[in-house]
Amino acid sequence: MVKKEIIERSPLRKLEEATHGGVGKGKLGVIASRRGIGKTACLVHIATDKLMRGKHVIHVSYSSRVDHIITWYEDIFKEISKKRNLEDAMEVHDELIKNRVIMNFNQKGFSVDHVIESVKAMMKNGQMDTDAVIVDGFDFTQATKEDVKAFSFFAKDSDIEIWFSDSYTDKETYTDKNGMPKNLTDVIDQIEVVLTLQNKDGKMILKLVKDHDKVVSEDLSIKLDEKSLLLSEA
Amino acid sequence: MANKIEMMRNIGISAHIDSGKTTLTERILFYCQKIHAIHEVRGKDGVGATMDSMELERERGITIASAATNVSWKDTEINIIDTPGHVDFTIEVERALRVLDGAVLVLCSVGGVQSQSITVDRQLKRYGVPRVAFINKCDRTGANPYKVCQQLRDKLGLNAVMMQIPIGLEEKLEGVIDLVAMQAIYFDGDDGEILRIEEIPASLLDEAEGKREIMLDALSMFSDDLMETVMEGDDVPQNMINEAVRTGTLSQEFVGVYVGSAYKNKGIQTLLDAVLKYLPAPPDIQNKALDLDNDEAEVILESDNSKAPVALAFKLEDGQYGQLTYIRVYQGTIKKGCDLLNVRTDKKFKVGRLVRMHSKSMEDITEAPAGDIVALFGIDCASGDTFCSPDKSLSMTSMYVPAPVISLSIEPKDKTASDKMAKALNRFTKEDPTFRTYVDPESNQTIIQGMGELHLEVYIERMKREYKAEVDTGAPQVAYRETIASSNNFNYTHKKQTGGSGQYARVAGTMEPLEEGDYEFVNKIKGGSIPSEYIPSCDKGFQMSMKKGSLIGFPIVGVKMSISDGQYHAVDSSDQAFQTAAQGAFRESYKKCKPSILEPIMKVVVEGPTEFQGNIFGSINQRRGMIIASNEEGTYSSVEAEVPLSEMFGYSTDLRSMSQGKAEFTMEFAKYGKVPKSVEDDLVKKYNDEKAKK
Repeated sequence: MVKKEIIERSPLRKLEEATHGGVGKGKLGVIASRRGIGKTACLVHIATDKLMRGKHVIHVSYSSRVDHIITWYEDIFKEISKKRNLEDAMEVHDELIKNRVIMNFNQKGFSVDHVIESVKAMMKNGQMDTDAVIVDGFDFTQATKEDVKAFSFFAKDSDIEIWFSDSYTDKETYTDKNGMPKNLTDVIDQIEVVLTLQNKDGKMILKLVKDHDKVVSEDLSIKLDEKSLLLSEA
Repeated sequence: MANKIEMMRNIGISAHIDSGKTTLTERILFYCQKIHAIHEVRGKDGVGATMDSMELERERGITIASAATNVSWKDTEINIIDTPGHVDFTIEVERALRVLDGAVLVLCSVGGVQSQSITVDRQLKRYGVPRVAFINKCDRTGANPYKVCQQLRDKLGLNAVMMQIPIGLEEKLEGVIDLVAMQAIYFDGDDGEILRIEEIPASLLDEAEGKREIMLDALSMFSDDLMETVMEGDDVPQNMINEAVRTGTLSQEFVGVYVGSAYKNKGIQTLLDAVLKYLPAPPDIQNKALDLDNDEAEVILESDNSKAPVALAFKLEDGQYGQLTYIRVYQGTIKKGCDLLNVRTDKKFKVGRLVRMHSKSMEDITEAPAGDIVALFGIDCASGDTFCSPDKSLSMTSMYVPAPVISLSIEPKDKTASDKMAKALNRFTKEDPTFRTYVDPESNQTIIQGMGELHLEVYIERMKREYKAEVDTGAPQVAYRETIASSNNFNYTHKKQTGGSGQYARVAGTMEPLEEGDYEFVNKIKGGSIPSEYIPSCDKGFQMSMKKGSLIGFPIVGVKMSISDGQYHAVDSSDQAFQTAAQGAFRESYKKCKPSILEPIMKVVVEGPTEFQGNIFGSINQRRGMIIASNEEGTYSSVEAEVPLSEMFGYSTDLRSMSQGKAEFTMEFAKYGKVPKSVEDDLVKKYNDEKAKK
């Protein structure tokens, strides 16, 4: 299979359909779920899909080691190319990594302004054509309204799409009666698309809870495969 | 001296540049009473630290050659290999690591785990060297040994555990608390030579107990007794802790962390105690050799003085008394006057002078027991050679030697310099396998090759200083390669049948890209269309063509040549005719196989204050580099990138000026990558212009 077909058949096209064209440039999207069930996999898959389409992505993380994140990308790419039997996989791979940069912030305590400044410096001095920024591990419980507004302004100002993850512990009920993740209640007007990743009869299913100006509750028929950690049609 | 092998340690001191490794070594020598005064690396007294024996090292404040020196601490002999810190000299580091049984990993309490520490740690892992860590410079502003310990865990994945905690930090550093004996240790006297043991200050007692608990918890993995004692809430005896630390350290699953400041004379003696207690003696490590008489079967060497001797030459030095060869004895005893065999050259020699080294001074000895590190005089050999008793043929496994990535033409300034240069080159190539030299047959120039700009610069300086050979240097030249991207069937006839003896040969087959390896030759001829005696001629002809590609004249790699058909002539065919035919076939076919140029791509890590991050990103981008990742930590930022070597010339100067001298970088060879079309066109044009000039 060639790259074009992989893009066309990606389960993420379904997500775009459901959200009327995706999050969109200048806007924010969030994937919320309990800890450790696959938010990073989803985000990396979304990023890889963009990279496949020739877009530039900056991946922001708050991990202790950068090589873990690189390994995520390598694994997801390997699974996709294996599953779809990608031709010239190495060449496609080399093309993709040219357009991807990982920016890691090694400890808590970096202000949102600082992170945005660093990402801007990267965009100014190299990744000029950045289309999307992935922010994995951002702590919404510590974030103020102003923080989220700053990201929102940055997205509009730089004409980029920003994806976040929002994490919860095993014990708490994390959604309100509308199915909205509770960390986002105060800042929901800044966010265009919200997805949750939920365990439904043993399958990890993506659910759309905010679709631009509408609060919805729509099961996307997209699941996260436990073994390959790829999104696929359920 | 103590001859018992258990009372011997061979250790290396490995570290990031400028983390104070040479100062630490200097202090160790001082406390072991090998030297009588302390000199600083960048000493104001003009004497310089004792270990930095080469003038050049003194001037630059860095250690280049790994001098071995012997000291004794509490009746134990310690051989210290002072390893160079800069990545350009890693072959020296790797060679030194080979002969070590243990290492002290030195870290700066402010800078922490930096890119070079990661490289060094990877090398220690590769050679399976057990280690303890020493967090130096705890007297510096911003010192945070706890953070550095955590970095050892996070960044290097080591099971690093504090064995000491500092009493006070920065300018208030007073001493250390030993968490095994639970006592405070202060370093009194002008040079910190008097140890004063006190009770732990009340203000630090809680912290010390907390850290001790963490330590015991980590150690319970290595000792069931210890785990039980802890579970039952009893006091854990010191020797039980010591045994667990030693077991953990030897299995490389535990790294004890010590703190102090070499410059302020704090924590050195306690570090030496740790070396004695926890790092392995020679018999604790299993070493293997290959038996060349027995199809290279592995032989386990025993640290037994009565067995047949086996030793490895790991370092050559040209001193004022002739060539010094540093050796490590792995098995048996090497005695003055005994016969040894150099396994590589298969030549016998007699051991003349045998000495124990202390940087520039030496002590004559009559024998060296198994496990020891000593030096021989006047032996003709290369580093990496194995010596063994003449009735055996054992070779230590070959060491990993990377291929050079950069070359430079050099020309002596006058006739006298020419002889001296030849002498120097001869010496350097013996000392350092990553440094190579040859004479380019076309330009008649002497070319030197190495692992980086600085690597070659240092040798040029050494030529000037040690051999008084002044040379002019050309522009550094990157070691490009050529390769092909598609395949082609060839059918080529070489015919010359006019007058005299004729030549006739025809070869046909396929040229195709080879994924792994440089070259492969496949013979698919059936039915003798080319007689078997001429098959090697075809192979040889192809290989000759591989030496120089037609794009820019660099060697070709990644080609598979198969021959499937051909023709010969009973009278006019010859070895030469088939070689010429093969070369013709290669030349014609090569053009049709989408040839392209490959260049060495370096893995570059730049570290500096975050305020310069934008400049660093920009500088990499300008150099056709690809940023893989950036990592911010506090106010420090490190950027990892892949950059073509050809773009890295002069980077250190640029980086210094854009960061007020606060950023630094390391680079090492990563892979060969395809040159972009525009650059390829430039290279081809330049090559053709130069060719036209000739």
